[in-house]
Amino acid sequence: MTFVLITGRTIVQGSYVERKSHPDYHVEASALHMNPVDMLEHDLEEGSTVLVSSDAGKVVLQARPSTLLQRGELFVCLGPYANHLVGPGTRGTGMPDFKTTAVTIEPTDDPVPGVAELMRRCGGVPYEG
Amino acid sequence: MRVEDVVCTFCGCLCDDLVIETDGKKIVGVENGCTLANEKFMGDHRLKSPIRREGDRWSEVSLNDAIREAAEILLDADRPLLYGWSGTHGEAQSVGVHLAEILGGVIDNTSTVCHGPSIMAIQEVGHPGCTLGQVKNRADVVLYWGANPIEAHPRHLSRYTTYADGFFVKNSFRERKLVVVDVRETESAALADEFVRIEPGGDYAVLSALRAIVRGRGEVITGPVAGVSREQLVRVADLCMKAKFGAIFFGLGLTMSPGKNKNIRNAIELTEELNRHTKFTISPMRGHWNVYGSNEVFCWITGYPYAVDFARGIAFYNPGETTSVDILRREECDACLVVASDPGAHFPRACAEHLARIPTIQIDPHVNATTHLCRLQIPVAVTGIDAEGTAYRMDGVPIRTRKLFDGDHPSDTEILERIYAIVKEAKGA
Ligand code: SF4
Repeated sequence: MTFVLITGRTIVQGSYVERKSHPDYHVEASALHMNPVDMLEHDLEEGSTVLVSSDAGKVVLQARPSTLLQRGELFVCLGPYANHLVGPGTRGTGMPDFKTTAVTIEPTDDPVPGVAELMRRCGGVPYEG
Repeated sequence: MRVEDVVCTFCGCLCDDLVIETDGKKIVGVENGCTLANEKFMGDHRLKSPIRREGDRWSEVSLNDAIREAAEILLDADRPLLYGWSGTHGEAQSVGVHLAEILGGVIDNTSTVCHGPSIMAIQEVGHPGCTLGQVKNRADVVLYWGANPIEAHPRHLSRYTTYADGFFVKNSFRERKLVVVDVRETESAALADEFVRIEPGGDYAVLSALRAIVRGRGEVITGPVAGVSREQLVRVADLCMKAKFGAIFFGLGLTMSPGKNKNIRNAIELTEELNRHTKFTISPMRGHWNVYGSNEVFCWITGYPYAVDFARGIAFYNPGETTSVDILRREECDACLVVASDPGAHFPRACAEHLARIPTIQIDPHVNATTHLCRLQIPVAVTGIDAEGTAYRMDGVPIRTRKLFDGDHPSDTEILERIYAIVKEAKGA
């Protein structure tokens, strides 16, 4: 089944914008909000790890039920996790398709990577100082 | 010490009524701020000194060496990209534009991934906007379209719309109708008199349907449009046409969804259509506290609001070509200076990968996702706390931010001016 990934701001994400190394930022930015019925159908519970894949990439996220979403919709707050899935094409506007990325999901036992680890996967070197 | 009328340098509301208590070295209390403001002012998570990376190792470096190295990296580059700017004051943005010009580089601000499409639409069809004060005092119908103020601009409702009594709207909560249009039933939607849920990607069609109804051609709509029933469309159009003064605020739900700039154009044209019946205005919900300022500053110096390319020796602007995401995706720039933003977190992965490949320098008070991608980071003072300068609120009103105490770090302006001086000397300009 293909889902539509929507990204956007949340107040917790905004609160940690200057502390992206904080564990609470990691939890918020890697939360995969899903309609509870979709979660049931995919055998997912709150906190289950899910491998989310799009044409642009893959990343492991943590399921979180949300009644704000319709079935077939997923929400991840804007940030490095969502951006592992959003493609860089802009259709001549400069703006990527942040609100309508097609993704698939599958349960996984792999852990959710930290922000520094995600940046390492992009070729960076984590600064731990 | 207690400082009144402090300006909050977090979101585009730029609230100017905070009361801050300081002990002369740090902030100890915040009044009137929202959760985001409290985090911004009370949190103190600064990078202490400049850092540089060689291979896989990070080490501290002196400020003088960091500034010299930053200038050298930029001088060595054939196509430097200077990105960010929305989290700093106008004076620093101005030095940034001059630096881009002397380098023959590209300068772009964060509108490129927020309201860039809105600006493109405004360039096509104009902007029937107004100040937030007008909305507060006059608007009896407010629409938030693809915007979630409760999470992104927490005091927008209490300072300007639903919870703000105005001169002509004495009891705002009762007299002001609130319509929220979104693909999700957000916390903001829960407050609405009318919540319009649109299927993802359906904004353009719904805007067109509303335009048809307002134009008196409602008969062309025979059934639901993008998940919105015909009855609801007619109800919302009627509510808008009967308003004494209506205000639409739109967010990234419109600029980032399929149609992008054309969505905004359609929304502006709906506003124009409504003005045949009553007074209606439309305004973008600008995110970063001074992203509007970066558009103003870029415009008054170069004529263009973002994505300005100086490679030809003159200012050139072409969104889709000279925009940061496109330049990074094409692996075109060979150095990047990031000021007051975090493209590592907020650009698609492919762009972050290119930032890691090239020498990226960051000027920012905090460790963020871009820190891990860059070669050099210079911490600076935070505007509105230990630095001051001009900012533009989301409605284009300039507001001077305040410095609350002297901190340990130089301001963005000071660092950029020093880099500029070295570049200027090397160029013999
Ligand atoms: S609404 Fe925005 S500007 Fe106002 S206090 Fe909150 S974060 Fe600051």
